[in-house]
Amino acid sequence: MSEVATPSKHAVLATRITDACSAHGVVGEGNPQAIAALEALPYPTTRQERWKYTRVTRLLDIAPQATPAGTLPEPVLAGLDAHTLTFVAGQYMGDDILDEGPEGCFVGPRSVALERYPQRVLEGSTDGFATTEWFAALQSAAPQDGGCVIVPAGHRLERPVVLRHHMPSGIGVAQPEHLFLIGDGATAEGIIWSDSATDAAGLLNGAITAKVGDMADFSLEIVQDEPGELHHIGHHHFTQGANSKLTVRTATANAHWLRNDLHIVQDGVHADSTFHGCYLPNGQQFVDHHTRIDHAHPDGRSNELYKGLAADRSTAVFNGKIMVHKDAQRIEAYQSNRNLLLGEQAAMYAKPELEIYADDVRCSHGCTTGQFDREALFYLRSRGMTETAAHNLLVQAFLAEVLDGFREEIRDYVHDVYARRLGWS
Amino acid sequence: MLKIENLHARIGDTEILKGLTLSLGTGEVHAIMGPNGSGKSTLASILAGREDYEVTAGSITFDGVDLLELDATERAVAGIFLAFQYPVEIPGVSNINFLRTALNSIREQREEAPISGKDFLAKVKACAQLVELDGKLRDRSVNEGFSGGEKKRNEVFQMAMLEPRLAVLDETDSGLDIDALRIVSHGVNSMRSADRSFLVITHYQRLLDHIVPDHVHVLAGGRIVHSGGKELALELEEKGYDWIVDAQATEQA
Ligand SMILES: Nc1ncnc2c1ncn2[C@@H]1O[C@H](COP(=O)(O)OP(=O)(O)OP(=O)(O)O)[C@@H](O)[C@H]1O
Ligand SMILES: [Mg+2]
Repeated sequence: MSEVATPSKHAVLATRITDACSAHGVVGEGNPQAIAALEALPYPTTRQERWKYTRVTRLLDIAPQATPAGTLPEPVLAGLDAHTLTFVAGQYMGDDILDEGPEGCFVGPRSVALERYPQRVLEGSTDGFATTEWFAALQSAAPQDGGCVIVPAGHRLERPVVLRHHMPSGIGVAQPEHLFLIGDGATAEGIIWSDSATDAAGLLNGAITAKVGDMADFSLEIVQDEPGELHHIGHHHFTQGANSKLTVRTATANAHWLRNDLHIVQDGVHADSTFHGCYLPNGQQFVDHHTRIDHAHPDGRSNELYKGLAADRSTAVFNGKIMVHKDAQRIEAYQSNRNLLLGEQAAMYAKPELEIYADDVRCSHGCTTGQFDREALFYLRSRGMTETAAHNLLVQAFLAEVLDGFREEIRDYVHDVYARRLGWS
Repeated sequence: MLKIENLHARIGDTEILKGLTLSLGTGEVHAIMGPNGSGKSTLASILAGREDYEVTAGSITFDGVDLLELDATERAVAGIFLAFQYPVEIPGVSNINFLRTALNSIREQREEAPISGKDFLAKVKACAQLVELDGKLRDRSVNEGFSGGEKKRNEVFQMAMLEPRLAVLDETDSGLDIDALRIVSHGVNSMRSADRSFLVITHYQRLLDHIVPDHVHVLAGGRIVHSGGKELALELEEKGYDWIVDAQATEQA
């Protein structure tokens, strides 16, 4: 007779989250590898380098209560000519689906894609972080609905796709999964807009996976605009083929507690990756961007730029890993992370990590955390600007390098969110 | 308009101004010349309100107001403008956005309504014409990648936009080619008026051919050691500073 061991706190959390997701609706079976990994993997602690500054013990107590409200939130990016799909708490809200048949493009929810084109979806799927990261495994064990965009080889998606996910009021949980399958030589633009009600709380544990074929060109803009007290963990995984071009821009407009893991794998020669991001936590907010790029083949290029400010008593974390594999010669990899501290009690932890196993590589990186440029401040004040006006102008200028890369509608939106936060205008 | 009395100032442990006295009437143009490192830019910076300097003795009044009580912003609002010897580059802030923000910030503090977009553009156009500032420079980031001469022109352009009561020009002529010198001087001259004063810091008499001063002062060792009319500049050009500095030393000995 063996005693039944008391399950660990995180196993209880896993069950609670999985049950809640299943109750509201998951898509397909949970990934068996992820389910196995969920049992085997340890729960992250600050003793692990990747979670050093990111305390997830607080997430153990999340107990989802609210059943997702089935109401549509106010539209976003109203002026943009785009193909928009809306999801609320991991459930598809029923907008138009673009389906050009088995040989053509598909833009719709993953649930429908799996019904109509199971083969195409499964062929393109990857495990991403699901077998290596506890929260990713949890997501993949009970995945909910998200967008699925399939652009076959040689096709071009004329309009951008907006995949909008909304977390409603209350303590909720959602594990949406968005998938982009961009075939060889195909072209597409996507926007993932993740927002919440102002009194949303709980856990948003979402995945974005993109597979970009040889010679393909894919650009993705991610906007995270979540007021309230939500905990958001994002698993963003990209694989790109030879001679492909990938651009990922992430704007964290609003986040109570956020961890993003962004991983790009260059799985062919001459791949080109651009990934930029910006963030501006204030109050007691916490924002953590972990990025990694794998240059696994020769002649790849990457350009990474993350910029942010930490105000008040907030904390920002940046970790950027560049991995250049053996024989991945003639890589050009540039990484830059610039931070401004706006509050004496604000904290910024920034770390570049370079692992280079090839010998002919051009790599540069720079991490800086500073205060305002005193000379610039004096110059602006000597022209009559108040200290606040001068700060605001310098903040805008600081972020412009990243924000200007977004399409105008998004740039202006995020700019306005930041402006309201810092009292600009 | 401006009255500086027995001004002592230091940075860290280094005393730079050592009892400087100078007064400027409304509508007057005064030139300050003097050897390198004598404290000219220090004086200019202190007038503009740079906080790195500690004033240990003396006073500055501007229109009867104790200037040392005002911070840099308040001094600009009061009508003081400094054309920097080394204008600062501010990447990401367009010249136009910068000026609009500055102008409206000043207006707000003076409890005036913000300038309309139309009036602002008209003003930009007029002022840019005054110093023949290239249109492209207006839209670029403040001073970023500007040539030395373009930076100086941009300073005078800003001065024209902000219409100060007292303009302090710190070596605005250095780095200017002959044509630019003429253009910039023309800009300054056309702004001369009965209620605006200028303090022009320069090393070259040449500038004072264009901007003819009412008075010329020599600043050496942190003090004004000699003053005269516009002809003093010519004399300095010819003889250098030694004769004055030596005479001072003898006098003090
Ligand atoms: N931050 C500082 N720390 C220490 N010394 C300083 C500092 N700033 C200025 N000084 C010193 O103060 C003195 C006066 O400098 P200032 O720039 O006022 O001279 P200036 O008369 O404008 O010279 P120039 O003709 O070369 O422009 C110099 O000896 C300079 O080295
Ligand atoms: Mg000087």
